[in-house]
Order: sequence, then structure tokens, then C-alpha cells
Amino acid sequence: MSGRILVVEDDDQLAQYIGKGLTEANFTVDRAANGRDGLFLATDSAFDVIILDRMLPGMDGLSVLKAFRAAGVATPVLMLSALGQTDDRVEGLTAGADDYLGKPFAFTELLARVQALTRRGAGGAVQQTPVLRCADLELDRLARQVRRGKRKIAMQPREFRLLEYLMLHEGEVVTRTMLLEAVWDYHFDPGTNVIDVHISRLRRKIDDDEPQQLLHTVRGAGYRLSVD
Amino acid sequence: MRRLLPSTIVGLGIAIFALQLLSSGAALYLLRTQMEGIVHADRTRQLNDVRDDLLAAYYDGGYAELHDFIARGRGSVGDPLNFVALRGPGGVLLSNIATIPPGVRFDHPGIVTLPHTGSEVRTGLAVGTRLPGHEELIVGALTETESRFDLAFAEAIGLTLALTVALALLSAVLLGTVISRRTHAIADTAEALGSGNFAARFPREDIGDGFDHLRRQMNLMAERIDMLIKQLHSISGSLAHDLQSPVARLRASIDTALDCDMGEPALEALQRARVDAEALQAMLAAALELGRLESGTVEDRRRMIELGEVVDDLAELYEPLAEQSDIVLNWDVAPVRVFGDRELLSRALANLIDNAIKYGGNRIALRCRIEGPWALVSVADNGPGIAAADRDRAMDRFIRLDNARTRPGAGLGLAMVAAVAQLHGGALELSGGDAVDLGGLVVTLRLPR
Repeated sequence: MSGRILVVEDDDQLAQYIGKGLTEANFTVDRAANGRDGLFLATDSAFDVIILDRMLPGMDGLSVLKAFRAAGVATPVLMLSALGQTDDRVEGLTAGADDYLGKPFAFTELLARVQALTRRGAGGAVQQTPVLRCADLELDRLARQVRRGKRKIAMQPREFRLLEYLMLHEGEVVTRTMLLEAVWDYHFDPGTNVIDVHISRLRRKIDDDEPQQLLHTVRGAGYRLSVD
Repeated sequence: MRRLLPSTIVGLGIAIFALQLLSSGAALYLLRTQMEGIVHADRTRQLNDVRDDLLAAYYDGGYAELHDFIARGRGSVGDPLNFVALRGPGGVLLSNIATIPPGVRFDHPGIVTLPHTGSEVRTGLAVGTRLPGHEELIVGALTETESRFDLAFAEAIGLTLALTVALALLSAVLLGTVISRRTHAIADTAEALGSGNFAARFPREDIGDGFDHLRRQMNLMAERIDMLIKQLHSISGSLAHDLQSPVARLRASIDTALDCDMGEPALEALQRARVDAEALQAMLAAALELGRLESGTVEDRRRMIELGEVVDDLAELYEPLAEQSDIVLNWDVAPVRVFGDRELLSRALANLIDNAIKYGGNRIALRCRIEGPWALVSVADNGPGIAAADRDRAMDRFIRLDNARTRPGAGLGLAMVAAVAQLHGGALELSGGDAVDLGGLVVTLRLPR
């Protein structure tokens, strides 16, 4: 995966850390240290994703974001904040952010979200597809049915939504936090490995006794549903 | 419908009743005294008239003429309400009376008791006159009318009493309703302020009474608290930024260092440092979050939610984990609507369930039920529980009871749950150790419905 990322972050060390990680993941990274520079860069050239700090010197992140949108910059924005609480999240999302990540965060979490946003910016058609497929796994969103080959798989409503989310993000790394937010609508960390156990159950249903495993665990990051 | 401060109403009722009774009593008493005066004066004049008639007869024709006048019942002597007695040389002449009543005064009219048939006693007004021929003339009149007055006044007092009670009750209820409505309105706002909504203000009515004064002063107080909290909020906000960023950088540096080639001891040390940095980050985040919850400076996103669904969702989230840990998780959920923040309540409950899985036994029971004005959510387990003496302490910040010291965590969990409960106008209660639930710890979140 590749793409251009703009990081608007006043903290040099954090910006370097993010930049280094994203470069290793084959992204091209530009950086602005304040909101004004960020606004110039964003309107000047095309980026796939903008990572924007909520607290910036001079012009704060929310104002920068509003200025982006007012200037017609439709690039997906991932907002970062030290005040990574749910109410800030709501504020950020209403201001036009596409995703929100509170500090402290693990880099894998940031990477997964950036990748999801890049994908969304590129395609997006998959969101509307009524039947999702991955190899011989098939999920009918209207009939709410799941099949693996000829085998019909019974699913609880929540399991169905979990699989649906994974299939919508086929080939991408999906973190536990992303799943908690999208499938359970919780914006806190329930601590222990609750999500892992749900994934194990789901895996048992779709992958047991199959020659090809589809639901993979990505160590230290999350999960990925894919053919390889 | 709220209680209308019954004690206040009863007190007011008694006060109004007493005042009304006093004023009507005073009016009645005054009226009665005046009437009595008038009637007395009338009666005296009547007596004087009768006496004057008799004296005229006496001066006209002497004793004989007077005797004749009385005996024939002429003039006003014939009036059945009047009575006359004449003691003279020919003995005693009585008209309308059987004997001379005792105690007749000769200077001015006085009240006398008249013997009457049976046990009934009548009173009259009488005056005696000594005539020049040493005869005594006694003229009197029955005071029937006066006793009828007394009866009428007794009736009037009875009626007044009844009316007073009814009116006092009515005005007490009306006044009590008005007062309690106003005090409840003030109390509601105070409650909002108390639960952390510092934007709440008391509605002003410029009528300049005591209530208005109270509202004005309490608004000033709320203004001041609001300002202080906002200052605190901005300080803690920048503190969050200032503290979390260096910790994040610390962790990032450790991550960078871990990518380098190094010896096994250095690698191990760095990995330990990373675990500690992560714990520090988590504690910092939890402490800041707790500060915000306790000060009520989180955005108020409460709305009517189905608490049963919140519990159901969490039970469903944790059930696979419990099963994997060989713990039986049961839930018994009654539908109950509360005014709450789903996210915060879920987080609080997740904390309790997580604790039960970590420190409880092998059975956990979630219950959601109604108790009067409260919605209760409880998490019970069959673990060792917490000794009654330690329960209050367990909810304090950074307190970790001995059996939890060896496990990871910041010791902010129960303090956070308590803060969430408080933010909702409820409370967190620890109990257990008895046979009612599973025998272990019972943690109950008490929320107003």
C-alpha cells in the first residue's frame, strides 16, 4: 500500500515517530508543524490522508479542520488528541474529521486507521455492495445470511456485524479498538482480551475444518480477513 | 407528583387557623360586648319607663292608685316580660312573679335570678325604688333576648370555627403548593449544579421577594463555581497535553530503540521499560479521565436510555471471555429506563464485570432491577469478596487492596465507577458476604429513574 500522508503535528519527536513508521509502511510523508503551514500544504497538493493534531500552537486543530473543509479539501482527516476522550471525539467528528484517535496510541492502531482511510478515499463502492465475498465466504447483507462454500453458518446479530465489518475491510489490518467502535459502539478499552475471544468464536465458525484460513491474527496489531 | 412538604403544610395550616380564629373571635367578642351594651341600655330604659309610669300613678293618687295600677295590670305592667312587686302597708303585691327575687339593688338596675317552674332558672334585670311612704317598689324585666343572643353567638362561633378550619386548610394547601413548587424548582437547579452541570441557573422572576433574593444569590454562587471549574478544566486540559506527550515520546523512543541491534540484557531492560511506559500512559489517561468525571466537566450527553439494553450488550460482550475463563456469567435484566450516558455507564459496568472476572470466583450474576425511584444494576460474584471494613477504602483513588497488588491496574477502577454513579445523581455500593447473592462481593450501581 502506498499514498501521501500529511502530518500536522507540533511535537517534533512524535511527528518523527509517526513519519518514520509510515515511511516504513511505504507511505510518503509530509509534515507541517502548525495549522497555518498545514492549511497551505493541504490546499496546495493532493494527499490521501491528513493526520491532524487537535492541539496546535496558534490555530487549534478544530479550526484548521474547519478551514480545510471550507477551502474544499475533502481529504480524509484522522484527528489526534491528548484529550482522547469520547466527548472530544464527538466534537472532532462533527467538525468534519473522518476518524479520531486519542493519545496515547500504539503505532499499529494509527497505521490501521490510516490504511482504512486511504482505502475509503480510493474506493468506497464496497460500502454499498449487498453481498460481500472473500474466497468462498459469502455474506448477504440483505438476507443476513452467511455461507462458507455450501455450508450455511448461523450467526448471532453481533457476530454478523463483526464479520461484516471485517469483510468490508478485507485485506486491511483492523485493530481491536476499531472493532469495539464499529461493532459495539464503545469508545473505551474494556481492558482484557474480550475482542480476542469474540474473534476466536467467529474463526471457529467460519474457518474450522476449512483448508483455507481467512481470519488472521496480526501480532501486536489486530486482525485481517484475507485470502492469503 | 412530589410530596407537598406535608410538615410545612400542617404547620402553615395550624398557624393560619389560629390567626383566623383569633381575628374572628376578637370580632365576635367585640360585637357581642357592643350588643350587650346596647341591649342593656335598652332594657334599663324600658325599666325606667315602667317605673316612671308607676311613679306617676303614685304621685297622682298615692299608694292606692299605684296598687290599683299594678293589680289591674295597666300600661306596661301588662307586658308579660315585665314584672313588678310592691311592698306596702297592705302586704306584698306581685305582678307576673311569684316572690320577690333576692338581691335587688336600689341604686341602679342589676341582674337577678328568678325562681321559676322546675329546675329552670331565668334571669332578669330589676331595680328597686323606696317610695316616700316607706313602700318599696321593685320593677324588673326578663332578659330572654339576652339569652337568645348568647345562643346566636354560640352558633356564630361554631360556624366561624368550621369555616375557619376549611379556609385555613385551603389556604395552607394553596400556599404550601406555591412554596413547595418554588422550593422544588430551586432544589432541582441545585441538584443539577450538584451533579456537575455548572451551566444550570435558577430562573429569575423580578419580584424582589425572598425567593428571588435566594435565586439571585445562588446564581452568583453558581457563576463563581462555574468560573473556578472552567479554570481548573483548562489547567487540567493543558496538563493532559503536557504530560501525555512526553510519555508518548518516551514510549516512541523505546519502540525506536527496540528496533536496533543490541544485546539480550539491553533488549530485556527496554522491554520492561516499554511495559512500564504503557502502564504510565494508561494511569495518566485514567487519572485525567477520573478528574474530569469527578469535577463533572465531561460533556453532558445524558438522554433517556434503556438500562437493560446497556447491561444486555455488556453481558453479551463479556460472556465469551467468561466462558473461556470457566466462569458462568448469568444475567437477569428487567427493562428500566434511566436518564444516562450510555458510554459512561457501559464503561463503568465493564469495569465492574472485568473486576469480577479477575478477582471473583467462577460464577458472576448481573442483575438490573427497579427499587422504588431507583434503577439498580448489580454485579455479584462468588469470590472472596471485600471485608466490610475495607469497602469504603476500595472506592478511593489509587487504592488497591492487598489481593490485587500483584495484578496490573491503576487502582482507579472503582473510583471511576463511583464518579460515573455520582455524575448520574446515583451512588456505588459494595456489599455481600451473605447468602442472598452468590456469597462473594456484590457491587451495586444505584441510578435515579
